[in-house]
Amino acid sequence: MIQQTQFTKTVGNAAEINELLRRYGVKFGIYKNGVFNEQFFPFDPIPRVITAEDFASMEKGLIQRVDALNEFLFDIYHDKKIVKDGIIPEDFIYISKGYLAECEGITPKNKIYSHISGIDLVQAKDGEWYILEDNLRIPSGASYPLIARELTRIAAPLAFAENEIVDNRGYAQLLKETMEHSNCGGIRAILTPGRYNAAYFEHSYLAEHTGSVLVQNDELFVEDNVLYHRTYSGGKTRIGVLYRRIADEYLDPLTFLPESLIGIPNLMEAYRSGNVGIINAPGNGVADDKGIYYFVPKMIKYYLGEEPILKNAPTYLPFYTEDMKYVMDNLEKLVIKDVAEAGGYGVVFGSELSKEKLEEFRKTIIAEPRRFIAQEVIDFLDLPILENGDGMGDTQTVMRKADLRAFVLSGEKTRVWASGLTRFSRNPASFVVNSSQGGGFKDTWVLKQVNSEQ
Amino acid sequence: MKRVNFYYSTKLTFDDYVHDHSFALRIIPPETDTQKIIFCGLNISPYVSTQQTADAFGNNVTSGYLKGDHRFLDFEIKGSAETDSSRHRTDYMPCYLYQSQYTQPDESLKAFYNEIKGRCTGTVSDRAESFCDILSDTIEYCKCVTDTSTTAAQAFALKKGVCQDFSHILISLLRMDGIAARYIAGLAFCDGETHSWVEYWTGDHWEGIDPANNCPVSDDYLVISQGRDFRDCAIDRGVMFGKYTRQLQLVRSVLT
Repeated sequence: MIQQTQFTKTVGNAAEINELLRRYGVKFGIYKNGVFNEQFFPFDPIPRVITAEDFASMEKGLIQRVDALNEFLFDIYHDKKIVKDGIIPEDFIYISKGYLAECEGITPKNKIYSHISGIDLVQAKDGEWYILEDNLRIPSGASYPLIARELTRIAAPLAFAENEIVDNRGYAQLLKETMEHSNCGGIRAILTPGRYNAAYFEHSYLAEHTGSVLVQNDELFVEDNVLYHRTYSGGKTRIGVLYRRIADEYLDPLTFLPESLIGIPNLMEAYRSGNVGIINAPGNGVADDKGIYYFVPKMIKYYLGEEPILKNAPTYLPFYTEDMKYVMDNLEKLVIKDVAEAGGYGVVFGSELSKEKLEEFRKTIIAEPRRFIAQEVIDFLDLPILENGDGMGDTQTVMRKADLRAFVLSGEKTRVWASGLTRFSRNPASFVVNSSQGGGFKDTWVLKQVNSEQ
Repeated sequence: MKRVNFYYSTKLTFDDYVHDHSFALRIIPPETDTQKIIFCGLNISPYVSTQQTADAFGNNVTSGYLKGDHRFLDFEIKGSAETDSSRHRTDYMPCYLYQSQYTQPDESLKAFYNEIKGRCTGTVSDRAESFCDILSDTIEYCKCVTDTSTTAAQAFALKKGVCQDFSHILISLLRMDGIAARYIAGLAFCDGETHSWVEYWTGDHWEGIDPANNCPVSDDYLVISQGRDFRDCAIDRGVMFGKYTRQLQLVRSVLT
C-alpha cells in the first residue's frame, strides 16, 4: 500500500482545489420539498488508492457482470429463456417498474442495452470487494473525478509527478467511442432536461469533452422516423446516437407518459426502426432493480457459464419463505432496501429502529414481500477524510464510510474506466454515501503496475 | 367466417393554428389469425408523409410530423376484412398477467373481487363468463360519467361507465384471478363509435368476451389495436405546439 505521506501534495492544496471546483461550477442540484437548490459537491483531497493488482481483478469481475447484464436485457425483451428455465421467477420481471413492455422485441444496435454502467462497490475490512448495486439507467458522476483530477493537477502537479497513477482523462474518449459504436448514422447528441436538473453540470461537461451537441427536447424532432436537430438557419441535422439524461418514462410522450414535456414525440418509433441509437437503452431498469440484483450471480452462471468473480453483498429476498424467516429473525442487524427507491432513499438500518418501529416494519415486509430486499451490513473499510478541507476551520483526518462507483463502458469491447467516483458519508454514524444525502467525493487513483511493485 | 366493411374517421379541429405536430395513430387493423385484411386505405389531411411500424403489442403504428401551421387534422380508414372467430390467436405476452396503469385495483375493487370469487369457479372460460355476468349486474352502462382517463377503480366506484370502463374492470378482476387478459379496441356492429372488449388467455389461446354487452365475441367484431389497457390502444396520440385552447374531435365509425 502506498504511504499516506505521499498525498501531502494534494492535501496541502485542498482549499485551493475546492476553490477551483467552485469557480468551475462543479455542482449538483437537490430538490427538497419541491425547491431546487444547487450545492457544491464537497471534494476531499485524500484520494482513494487502488493497486494495479486489485484493479485488474476488479476489472475482470466488472466486465463479466456487465456482459451478463447485457445478455439478460436482450433475453428479457426477446425469448425470456432465463424465466422459462426457472432461474428467475416471472414476478420479479413483470412487477418491476423498470420493465417496459413497450420495449418488447426492440433490438438495439449490436445488442447493447447498457452502454454506460455505474456499478457501486464497497471494500470490506479484509480487502474483498462487494457489489452493492448496479446502475444501468442513467448513472451519473463520472465528470466529478474527471474535473477534480484536472484541477488537482493544476493545484498540485507534484503529486502526479511523484506517484505512478493511471491517467483518467481518457474517459471522454472512451465515452465517445462507446457512443460511436451505437451510432446509426448522424451526429452525437447529449439530451438534458435542462438547467434545473441535478446533474446539469455533468451533461454540459460530457458534451463538451466528447464533441457532442448538448440539446434539450425542443431542439429535436422526429420526421419519417429519423431524429433531427434543428439548426439555427431552419435546417436540420440528423442525430445518429442520443445519450439521453432523462428517465425512460419521459422519453417519448407518444409511447410513455403523455404528460411529459421533456420528451421527444415518436423517438421510440425512430429507435425501433434502427435509425437512432439511444444510450442507455430504454427498459434497462428491469436489470438494475434491487430485487433483480439478487439474481445477477445466477445470470453470470446462466449466460456466461462462469463463476462470478465479484461477490454480491449477502442478500435475502423476503419473497422466498426461508429468506423471510431469516429476515424476520434478524431484522435488527440487517439493512432493508425498498426496491422502488434510488439515491439512498428507502434504505433502513434495522439497528436504528426502535422496538415498535421494528414490529411495524415486520408487518410491512410481510404485507409486501416483493417490495424489499434485506442485506447483511458489510463492515466496510473506512477511508481517511480531511475534515474542514475546504479551508473553513482546523483540519483533521477522520475515518468515514465510502463506496466506489466504477464506470463500465460497453462498445466494441466492454471496458472499465481506470478511475471512478468514490463517495463518502460526512456523517460519522452513517453508511449512506449518496450525494443527494449530503455526502462528498474523492478522486480514485488506480496505480500503474510499476508503482505497486515497489 | 364473415366479410365485413369498415370505415372510421376522426376530425380534429383547433381554434387557432398549431405547428410541430407529431402524431402516432393506431388505426390500421392488424392482420391476425382471426381477421384477414382484404383492403385498407388510410387518408390523412393535410397531406403529410407517414411511416409504418409495428409496436410491442402487435399494433400497426402510423407516425407523422406536421411542421407548418395548420388548423385541423383529419384521418380516415376504409377497408374490408374477413373475420373468423372460430379460429384462435396465440400471441401471448406475460405482461398481460399483471395489472397495468388503468387496471390497478384499489381496496374496494379488491374487496369486490374477494366477495365474488367464490361464485366464479370452473374452467378459465367459466370464470371469465361469471365475472362478466356479475359485472353486467353491478355496473350500469352510462355515457358521460367517465372519460378516457377513468381507471377501473374509479369507474367501479361510480358503478357506471362505457365499454372502456367495463373492459378495464373485467381485466382487473381476471388478472386478480390469475388469468392473463388484454384490452382490445376495435369496431363492432350496432355501435356508432369505436368499441372495446377483452380477450383472456385460456392457457393456450385468446378468447374474446364483450363485457359491455355481456356476450362472446363473434365475427361481427374487428380488432384495431390491443394492449395492456386503453393506454396501449389509443387510436390517436399527438403532441403539438400553438396558442390553441380547445380542440374539437368528431369521430364516426361504421362496420357493415
